[in-house]
Formats: sequence, C-alpha cells, structure tokens
Amino acid sequence: MRDFDFLKPATLAEAIAMRSSLGEEACLFAGGTALLLGMRQRLVNPKTVIALGGLADLRAIAFDSQHGLRVGALARHTDLARSPELRTHTPMLAHMAARMANPQVRNQGTLGGNLCYADPATDPPTALMALRASVVLAGPDGERTLAIEDFLVDYYATALGASEILKEIRVPPPAPGSRGIYVRHLRTAAEHRPVANLALVVERKGAVCTRARLVVGAATAVPCIAAKAGEYLTGKTVTLEVAAEAGRRLAQEITPISDLRGDGAFRRAIVGVIAKRAVAEAFGLDWKGAQA
Amino acid sequence: MSKHVINVTVNGEAHAVEVPAKRLLADFLRDDLLLTGTKRGCETGTCGACSVLIDGEVVKSCLNLAVQADGRSVTTVEGLGQGTNLHPLQTSFMEQGGLQCGYCTPGFLMAAHDLLSRNPSPSEEEIREGLSGNLCRCTGYQGIVDSVKNAAEKMHGR
Amino acid sequence: MNSPIVGKAVPQVTALEKIQGRAIYTGDLKQPGMLHAKVLRGPYPHARIVRIDTSQAVALPGVKAVVTGADTPTRLWGVAHKQQRILATGKVRFAGEEVAAVAAISEDIARDALDLIEIEYEELPALLDPARALEAEAPQVHDGHDNRVKEIRIARGDVEAGFAAADLVHEATYELHSQYPGYMEPMATLASVDGNGRLTVWTSTQSVFLARARLAEALDRPVSSIRVIQAMVGGGFGGKIVEERSSLIAAFLATRVNRPVRLVNNRLEDFQSGCFSVPCRLWLKMGMTKDGTITAKDVRILANSGAYAGLAPEVMLVTAMRSDNMHRLENVRSAADLVYTNTMPRGAFRGFGGTQMAFALNSHLSVMADKLGLDPFEVHRRNAIRAGETSVHGWQFGSTGLRECLDQVQAGIGWEAKRRRPKDTGVRQRGLGMAAAMHVSGNRTLGNWDGSTVVLRVNEDGRAFIASGESDMGQGANTMMAQICADELGIPLSHVTVLPPDTDTSPFALGSLASRVTINGGKAVLQAAQQAKTQILDAASGLLGCPADDLEIDQGVVRSRTKSNATAALPQVCRYHVFRHGGEGILVRATYDPPTKMMDADHYGNIAPGYSFAAQAVEVEVDTETGQVTLLNSCLADDCGKAINPMAVHGQTNGAAVQAIGWALYEHLQFEDGRLANGNFADYTMPTADSVPHLQASIVESNEPNGPLGAKGASETAILPGAPAIANAIEDAIGVRITELPITPEKILAGLRAKREGGHA
Repeated sequence: MRDFDFLKPATLAEAIAMRSSLGEEACLFAGGTALLLGMRQRLVNPKTVIALGGLADLRAIAFDSQHGLRVGALARHTDLARSPELRTHTPMLAHMAARMANPQVRNQGTLGGNLCYADPATDPPTALMALRASVVLAGPDGERTLAIEDFLVDYYATALGASEILKEIRVPPPAPGSRGIYVRHLRTAAEHRPVANLALVVERKGAVCTRARLVVGAATAVPCIAAKAGEYLTGKTVTLEVAAEAGRRLAQEITPISDLRGDGAFRRAIVGVIAKRAVAEAFGLDWKGAQA
Repeated sequence: MSKHVINVTVNGEAHAVEVPAKRLLADFLRDDLLLTGTKRGCETGTCGACSVLIDGEVVKSCLNLAVQADGRSVTTVEGLGQGTNLHPLQTSFMEQGGLQCGYCTPGFLMAAHDLLSRNPSPSEEEIREGLSGNLCRCTGYQGIVDSVKNAAEKMHGR
Repeated sequence: MNSPIVGKAVPQVTALEKIQGRAIYTGDLKQPGMLHAKVLRGPYPHARIVRIDTSQAVALPGVKAVVTGADTPTRLWGVAHKQQRILATGKVRFAGEEVAAVAAISEDIARDALDLIEIEYEELPALLDPARALEAEAPQVHDGHDNRVKEIRIARGDVEAGFAAADLVHEATYELHSQYPGYMEPMATLASVDGNGRLTVWTSTQSVFLARARLAEALDRPVSSIRVIQAMVGGGFGGKIVEERSSLIAAFLATRVNRPVRLVNNRLEDFQSGCFSVPCRLWLKMGMTKDGTITAKDVRILANSGAYAGLAPEVMLVTAMRSDNMHRLENVRSAADLVYTNTMPRGAFRGFGGTQMAFALNSHLSVMADKLGLDPFEVHRRNAIRAGETSVHGWQFGSTGLRECLDQVQAGIGWEAKRRRPKDTGVRQRGLGMAAAMHVSGNRTLGNWDGSTVVLRVNEDGRAFIASGESDMGQGANTMMAQICADELGIPLSHVTVLPPDTDTSPFALGSLASRVTINGGKAVLQAAQQAKTQILDAASGLLGCPADDLEIDQGVVRSRTKSNATAALPQVCRYHVFRHGGEGILVRATYDPPTKMMDADHYGNIAPGYSFAAQAVEVEVDTETGQVTLLNSCLADDCGKAINPMAVHGQTNGAAVQAIGWALYEHLQFEDGRLANGNFADYTMPTADSVPHLQASIVESNEPNGPLGAKGASETAILPGAPAIANAIEDAIGVRITELPITPEKILAGLRAKREGGHA
C-alpha cells in the first residue's frame, strides 16, 4: 500500500468541505472492506483518505409510514440485518443483508460504501432497486436525491459528484400487501459473491399479479429493471408456466456480462431460472416438482 | 505520509501509539504489539486468519487500518485466554479436533466467539454459516464445527 | 500391551500453543537487523530476457540488495532433472517465473524497489497446450531438448487376451485438472548467515533434510555449512517438499547481505511460486466379465509438467500404475508421457498422482457395473486384493482393509435402501455414488532407502525427548510419535517432548511425504522406546535388586511384578542410571528401514512396508436448472492399520474429503494467455464450512504387520475417492457422466442438454 494522508472529519459538513477542496486526489472511506483491497494491491492509490467512520449520525436506521425507510449511509450490513425496522417493513432487505458476503464483512462493510463502490458482484443494489430506493447525496450546495438506477452508472462507477457524499438511502413505504423476494445465486456453494441475483416486488389479488417489479443484478454491469417481464406478469393469473415464461422473457431482455465466473449465456440461463422461482414463490407455487 | 496517535485498547491494555495511516490493523497487532497470534493468509479478505474482535464484533484485521481502531477495543486470540485461564472455545478446539496445522485457528476462535455471543446454542447449519468467512484446509471443518458445538454446551453449563 | 495413550483421541501435542496464538510460524520470527525480501516475476509465459537494469532499485533508500539471475550460482538444482537456477537467466519459461529479488529494510520499500527494476523482454512463442508439446513445430521449453520429460511404458500379462475374454469393454477419456494445495500458511523463510559463514534457514517445510540438500545444491555450498530448522508449519499437502522456490531466494539473499532476510509470500505470490498437482488427460480402456471380474486394463496418459520437471515424473508414475495394485489384476498396460509446457511447474500434492487415476478408474467401474447390472461395491469386492497376496506389480500386502472400508461406507450412507427408492423426477434430483482407492505407506525411492532414525533421550526427571527429522506439518506426526513413546515408556503424554526438526541436531530423515512417517518414523520411535525401556529396567534392576524381567513401568513408576514394595519412581531410576554410567544418561538411537525394494527398471517391486485403503460413498442433489451440485452426505472409511490417535485420523479423513470436494466441484485454476487469472482466494474458491455437509469418517484397523502397533499411513488415501464418488453420484442422479474436472454448473447443464437432445433424436 502506498502512503496517504488520513483525514477523519467530525461532521458531514466538514467531510464535504474536505472532499470539495481535495477533489480527485481524495478517496472516501466508509467501512473500507472493498477500498482497502484495491489500495493494498496498488490498484487504487489515493493521496488522501477521508474516513467517514466518525459520522455517527450517518448510521441511523428509521422508518415512518409516510416516508418509508431511511438508512444512514454508514449503517453496516449487520445493522441492516438486525434492524427491527427492516425486519418489519422490508424483510427482503434484512434477509439480503443477513447473508451477504461473510460475517466479518457484514460487521464492517456499510451500505453506503457498498453502493458507492459499485462492484457488480454484490447484493444490495439489486434489492434496493426493486424497492424503488433513492439515494440522498449531500454536497457543498445542498442535497439532491437520485433514484438508485440513476445513481448506479456502470461497473465501479456512480453519479456521485466529485464533492458529494452519499448520506442516506431511502426506501418508500411498501405498497399494502406487496411482497418482496430476493434471490442470491451463488455459482457454487463455495463462492460467496453472487454470479447473478434477482429481486422481485409483487402486488397481487389472489392468483392475479397486479404489479411486478423485477430487477436483475450481478449478471449485468449494473442492476437493471426487467420491465418486459414485469409487464408480462401484470394482470396475469400466475401459474408455473406463467412464471417460467416471465423468466424466459426476463432472460432475453438483459445484457449479461461475461467473465471468469460465468459467460453471458450461463448468466442469462441462470437469471431466467431464478426469476421463475422467485415469481413462483411469490405466488405460493411449488417450482421444485416439475422440470422446466 | 501522515502519522496518527491512536488510543486503542488491546486485550484490555490501553495503548497510545503513533502509526502511519497506511498501517493495517493486522500489521499493527503483529509487528508493533508483537501479537503474532493473529495470522495473515491472503490479501483479499477471504481467509479470515486475521480475524479479531473490535468492540466485541468479529472483523478481519487485514481489512482495517490501525487508525480505524482509534478509540476502540480490540481482542485478539491472545486476549481470549492464556495459560490456565483458557476460554471454553480454546479447550474445545483442542479436545474435539478443531485444529491441525493451527494457522487458521486464531481466526476461527474469534469468529466462533462472535457467533456464540449472538447465538449461544447454534445449530450445525448456523455454525457453518457463522464460520463461512474463514478458511481451513486441514480439518474439513467437521472438527471445528464439533468444537464450537461442544463449547456452546460447556458455556451453558451442560 | 496396556495402552492408556495409543488409540486414544488425545489433543495434538502442539494444540495448547496453537489455541493460545503462541505457536511460532516462520513468518512470526524476527531477528535484529532483519531485512525483508520481495520477488519480481516475469509477466510472459515464454520470453527472452534481453536486458535488466537494477540501478534505480539499488539507489532507492532502504534497499540493501537487488539480485538477478546473473548473480546466482551457476549450479543447477532440481529433483532428477537439474535445470533451474535460483532466479531465471536467459529466458523465462512460465508467467510468474522469478527474475529478480530485493532485500530492503521494510517490505514496502522492497515492494517499491520492484517497480524500479527495468527488464526488457523479447516474447517467444509459448507452448501452453500439452497436447501440442510433442508436435514437431511446437516451441521448445528447454532449448535443445524436446518437450518430453519422461515416458513410462509398463505392460504385464496379455492385455489383448484380457479384452478378448471380457463380456464388456469400455473406454473413455478423462481430463483431470490441477489443484493448488491451499495450505493456510503461505511459504515463509527466514535465512541468516552467521559470522563464521554458516547459513541458518528457518522455513516452512515438510522435510528439513531435503530442504538442506536442495539449498546446498542451489547455493553450491557444502551441506554441512547449512542448518535448516523447521518452525511450526501451517500445512503442506505436498507443496512444501522440494519444489517451491521462495526458500532458495531468501537464503541466497541472506548470503549476499550478511543480514537476516525474511521472505514471506503473500497469497498471490504463493499461487505464483507454489506447487500444483499434475494435470493430465487420461484414456482408459477396461474389460470385465459378466460377474464383474476385471480382465484387462489399458491406459494412456498425457501429463503436463509445466516448465520444469520437479517431482512430476514420479507423480505420473503413480498415476500410471498405483491403482492397479488394489485389485487382483493380471493384464495391465500403461503408456504415459509427461511433457513440458510454458506454464507453472506442477508436482507433488496429497495423493501424489493417485487422485487422477482414482477418478478415471472409479468412474469406469461405475459405468461398467451399471451396464452389467452389478453393484459397484460388489465389483470392487470381487476384484479386491487380499492380505498375503502379491499384486501385478509385485506389491506384497500384509494387510488390506479395502473390503471392510467398502462395508462401512455402504452401510453408513444407507446404500441399499437409498438405491431402492424411486428416482427423483423434480427439479432437484438426488443420486448416490461410491469409489475406492489405495495408497502407499512409505515408498522406497530415494537412494534405495526409506528408513527413519530416532534419537531418544530420557532425562534425569524421567521425561523423554524425541529427536527425529520427520516433520509435523499440522497432520499430527509429533503427537503420533509422542503417544507411541509415552505408552512404551509408561509415562504420561505430557512427559514426552518432540524436538523441532533441525538438521544440526536431528538424525537424517526424508520427512513428511509418501504417507511414510507413521509407519517408518513411528516404528523407529517404538524401537527406540523399547531400547530406552530396557536401559531403564536394567538400571532399576540394580537399584531395586530385582531381575529386569520382573520389572515394569506404569504411570512413571518402575515396579516389581512380584514384590509389592519394590518400586522406584522414574526420576530416581534415571538419576541412578546417570550416576552408575559415568554421567551418561539414557540415550538411545533406533533406525527402522522397512523390508521393501526399489522398483526395478520395469517398475516392479514391493516398494512400501504397508498399503492403505479407503472407500467413500456420497449422496448428492443436482439442481437440473442451475447445474448446482449439493453434497448431502459423505461417508469415508480409511484403513490406517491401527489408529494411534482416532481424532487425528478423523481429521485427516475429513480434511482430505473436503480437499477432494474442492477439486471436484469448487476449485478451478483459470489462465488467460498462460497467466494465472485467479490466483487469490476470492476467485480460486476453496471449500468453506457452509459449502460442505456434515461428514462421516470411519476407521478400519487392518493391523499392518510391518507397522508400529499395526499402524500405517492415514493422510493421503482419503483424498482419492471423493471426486469420482461425486461424479458417480451425479450420473446416478441425472444420467449425465462428467469426465472432465472440475464439475461446473455449465458442464452439468450442457450434459443435461445433450441428454435431452439425444433422447429426442
């Protein structure tokens, strides 16, 4: 690792001021689990590190029925997993956080750090996008709010401005009766990063799907909303065959990535399967009985 | 190069030490405090051999800077138990085949400590999940899982 | 013999220091003035080194030495093929080959200095595909030599007649990939030259004496000018015998700077400088009669040695013939070729070539059993070699627990009942598979010798020191030796200290390889302890006035069997011995050289004092839509002759089972243009606790006549059956036969696709 200056602002305003004055030379540092890996391999060589660990305000998790969920950017994955607010109002998110990566990383990594690092092989962005989350970015000129799909730009790239800091993640209150399912697909049981993942939020009347939002991640450079699959499901009485068709449509509408952990065709096949299963599960259908 | 004086409690002992910003917590423990029980086994935060507790929660000390530990309390394997005052996890690891080469052992002990502090009687599946951030190449994990189960029982006074 | 300690599941004698974090591994050692070393590696699989400029690196403050190949001794080192210098000269032959090294006052400065070394390369055409190695126009890895490292041709009986007599002949080709040993402690060495010029090397090694011999060769200096001391070793699995290269670099740097130098690999460096198992393509043809009797076996192997030879020729020999000995075969033929490529050197790894053939053989047996309507357990039983028999290659069996291993795992997994249940028809389908294998305990190769010597001292307090050059790399060898010694001397285990291997003071030994330490080292300990006991009883006889044969030692006290008041505590007897022998304490030496033979030129001969067996049965569940394979159950039985320490044997068995699971399902070295692309634990995914099931391990005690108290090796055999058992279970589950490792989700899905399309055709 190369030498760097280490700054530890006490307030958000101070952190923004540091970032504004230092510009590109400085790196924001939340939990550090991802950034330190890059720095140790000399892939990332910041002159200055602005460590946000002292900003206790940014750790809070709160819910109210009007605004929904507000998660401070520095809330750790562990905090999310154990949060009574999440477990009650967005259990999908709590469940996602409870199993991501491994216990040590969950105890240290933060939701904000995860989003800003924008590694595709991770879980939170997919789940958040399905929940229509937005992010609050604080800069010298005030705050702005972006939908998460506008925040995540590409592999390791976000819309975070050079002098901004991700302050909070907001999730609107869930629609009454809606249900979320998050599927993390590990290529093998020994891999702890998803090769593909899928988040689904559905609203239903009996067996009829009235609204569906499907988001695919890890298989794509940034999570993407599978709008066609969602449209297809809307208004349908969901059967196993409908779920399978939704999976097929979803698999066709994404642009999968290829890397050492799986080529595009494999990832496409997998997202189709996990989408089918998620839809089936959301409607209480048993997908295990019959082969596709 | 920035240097910082950090106030950190390690295994109950307070230290005020100047460290360079880039010093990893793992290196600080091993090279500055000579607590070599904490091991280094990879650069990717995968193997877990460097696991320690910060304020009672397990983290990987190779994914932490020493400066991040400022104002906090760190427990390493040396602080878990020594001599005749061993932690039940330590004795269980000895008695139940929880170790062979021993290199991963300190990390497993710390991860298991965190697990049992949250979940005093975990199922085998919960133990396996709770230890999923640590690699062992010798035991096939069975002895380790058995050790954690055994320690949990001992700690319940059974 | 009353055995209060042998046969008991006692903690390792190294356990206490390990659970306190106080065991000292090489990377924990520090010395005054110690420098840190870093190594620069060539980026190309094959390139001529045109120019090296180290001047900027030398000028960096804190740098004490920068060395390149030109600085290294010209004497070549190697196992049988002497072909390497400590750093590459002239050209690099694989991506990652060491070209320069730096010693500096800190690791960071040494790392910075690497960036300042300028090297100009001229890329050469690289030979990456072993299948092309023997083509006339293939690039030469070693100039002036063709790319064939070794060829082995073995033929016994009449293979063609065997096939003619068969009711079923089956042939298939298997691809077996390379595995990284994955010991948790990356290679580490601390080397120091003292004021008299002697070199002391603390290193993570499976054999201090082989390490010393290799250092002497590579550094071109007398063996006696080098001292090698084994620190605590964090696993080896074959990778720390004689093929890793970092210890040589550390020692060479120490000779250049006259200050202690420590070189600790990080994990990426360990992947680049480590030792991997030998990958091969293996074609197998077998004939079988309707009752399951194997009539002939014919095998052709093309194995990849990588850029250098190392132990790979020995490994390939094992692949070519070892498994033949577990069955009563008469007609066998092997044609095996080992070739160089511009890839990293391959060689010793747990199982030592056995895993490769065990996969092919057991896959084959399962397919053939199915075709003949036989149970694969019955096929193994029908062909199993028995105690007292001699195998087709001249191996003599004093003990064989194969049939008992088969019985145990067949019952343990619930084979009969589960085989009878209806096949799953849903998305996830379960299947059962089994495999069996054998391995040597000891191997007479080096210098027509496979012996072990132990020096045993009983101190004046009645406690014992064992000096042996055999090595504990985590597997529990020291505990095994201490248990045998404590039992024989009638003292508590805590009264035995096994001294760390040190070439200056330990008797010569080959070290931990070929599963030889329990059977040979353990036997030497037993014999030494018997001698020491004789001396103790002789002394006590004088002290107590009783005949020695009337005396016994129990719990540290010598007592008469007939006179109840004639007792003496061991310290008293041992002090008495010192006084009565002019100050000489109880000091004995025993050497055990097993009654084995070198293989002859035709690879025939009884090479090992004992042979271990193992069988495994597994149950898997295959997700037919995602290609994921979940291992539900595993039962593995190991015939170790006699379990000196059942907990240690179980540990070996379970560890081997999981390493095999990794090889079969999870671990996959990936290359891009000859460069290792996933040399880290995030991308080379070894099994984790949550990726393997609860494991059942059981022990068969076949009582080996040559072994100490009946014991033989229990460390390598158990890795052999795992991968084929899994492949067999997958076929049972979904009807897809995987012949190419690793078994990836893609291969499962492709197999299912082919089956569907075939079914519709």
